[in-house]
Amino acid sequence: MTALQQIPGRPLRKEKVVIRLLLLGLAGTTIYALATLDFGGIDMAEAVRDTLANLKIIFLHPGGPRLSFLSALEEVIITLGLAFLTTLFGGIIALFLGLLGAQNLSPKPVTVVVMALVALIRAVPTILWVLIFAVAAGLGSTAAVVGMTFHSISYLTKAYAESFEDLDRSVIEALKASGANWWQIVFQAVIPSSFSYLLSWTFLRFEINFANAVAMGAAAGASGVGFDLFMASGFYFDLREVGLITYIILAFAMALEAAATRAKGRIKHAG
Amino acid sequence: MTQVSQFPGRPLLSGRPLLEVSQLVKRYDAGKPALDGISFSIRKGEFVSVIGPSGAGKSTLLRCINRMIEATSGEVSFEGASVGLLDRKNLKRLRSKIGMIFQHYNLVERLTVIENVLHGRLGAKSTLAGAAGHYSREEKRQATEVIAMLGLSDHLYQRCDRLSGGQKQRVGIARALLQDPRMILCDEPIASLDPNASRNIMEQLKRFSQEMDIALIVNLHQVNVACKYSDRILGVNAGRLVFDGRPEELTPEKISQIYGAESRSLTAELGEQYAS
Ligand SMILES: Nc1ncnc2c1ncn2[C@@H]1O[C@H](COP(=O)(O)OP(=O)(O)O)[C@@H](O)[C@H]1O
Ligand SMILES: [Mg+2]
Repeated sequence: MTALQQIPGRPLRKEKVVIRLLLLGLAGTTIYALATLDFGGIDMAEAVRDTLANLKIIFLHPGGPRLSFLSALEEVIITLGLAFLTTLFGGIIALFLGLLGAQNLSPKPVTVVVMALVALIRAVPTILWVLIFAVAAGLGSTAAVVGMTFHSISYLTKAYAESFEDLDRSVIEALKASGANWWQIVFQAVIPSSFSYLLSWTFLRFEINFANAVAMGAAAGASGVGFDLFMASGFYFDLREVGLITYIILAFAMALEAAATRAKGRIKHAG
Repeated sequence: MTQVSQFPGRPLLSGRPLLEVSQLVKRYDAGKPALDGISFSIRKGEFVSVIGPSGAGKSTLLRCINRMIEATSGEVSFEGASVGLLDRKNLKRLRSKIGMIFQHYNLVERLTVIENVLHGRLGAKSTLAGAAGHYSREEKRQATEVIAMLGLSDHLYQRCDRLSGGQKQRVGIARALLQDPRMILCDEPIASLDPNASRNIMEQLKRFSQEMDIALIVNLHQVNVACKYSDRILGVNAGRLVFDGRPEELTPEKISQIYGAESRSLTAELGEQYAS
């Protein structure tokens, strides 16, 4: 640390100047935009008051005449199913792509192609993939499953490949020298040794896919609780129901998070 | 360890050599070859050390024997079969008969001792049985027995990253022994260990070589260790074999020939060893 502090900050100074100028520019445009914004005759104070009132209804008086608690639960389970299915499909395919993408397991050209392909897929947001597949399958659960699986594959392939690379190349050489072949090494050394990482990444993706599944329900009509949220807010304007659904989603997301954290902890202790 | 003294002399010639290396050349790139025409042979159960300065080609030599590195030219034959001509299946079979241990142990650190030791059986299995981890009761029994022989019974289900260096190397030896090998290649097995652990490892190796009639080729840094345990010593310098003889024949002149410029400090070290 002390050695670092002694190094003069000359190369940093230039960066600092650039960042300051950038921030100044951004602040300037923001102020200009606010000053010249056309509010269309809306009274700002009243608008803020109304928004707060709406938020109060949503969060303090949840409930709804249309949606019973049980049917809401059923819808959440559909959403969970969507998340589970896409994580499962994505995980299985990513396992094999990850093996091809890991530098200690596959020839360099193969890893480069796999990782580039996967990076390309990952660069496009999930929702866009769903819409792309909707061209062929129509908006609905099929497009949502395929699109979300697609993005999960690319995310998990990168995560799995990096987990596999944790096992040193020299260890793989040692097993090869004893006569073990590629499949034996993969299933007896690489996967068992990175298992806890694989599991953690898969849980993490499951959480992401749950959030995605809610959004897909609304945006792609993939049913589930997201679709109910969309109908309640955009079609029936029922703020109390929006509140109810939000709380249910929140509860499930938190339960999921807790389960994932506990599972990860358990793996660490057992391992 | 008492076994070492129980087998003072070994028959000098017992039929065909186990391993024959002739005119072995390995050229990594356009420059000087790493191995430049090396020939020697190893008998069953023989303990042979390979010494030489770093960069002399010792590791390359070991890896050309089981074709972890493909030689540029020359021939290696093991139990009468030419190693260079083996197809994939027979190469797997050959490797399963030759154990290998390493300076950095090369264990799967997150797996347990017994899991690592059982890896030694993979080479003898079909792809499917090996990948599925289908070890027979007999194999598991052998594994626990070998682990017990190396004094690791208390650590059977311990993860290898919790072990000391000496213990890890013993797991490496157990893994190699479970292959039921005719020969074990050891690449600087004690270079990362303290003197006590080093002595223990060398004694274990010597013992298994004698009790199980396993030939050993051991790359070593320390001349005195090589002299103490070997039946024969090979001296390598710049890819050439410059010495092949019994430890007694290794005179200071020979050592300086093997080590070139490095030799002065080494002969001094050897002198101290003999003096003490
Ligand atoms: N993979 C490689 N590619 C190119 N040169 C190598 C490679 N491995 C070793 N060498 C070279 O071959 C020579 C012998 O190396 P090595 O067999 O590791 O020697 P030693 O084990 O005796 O220290 C060295 O000059 C080294 O630089
Ligand atoms: Mg070496």
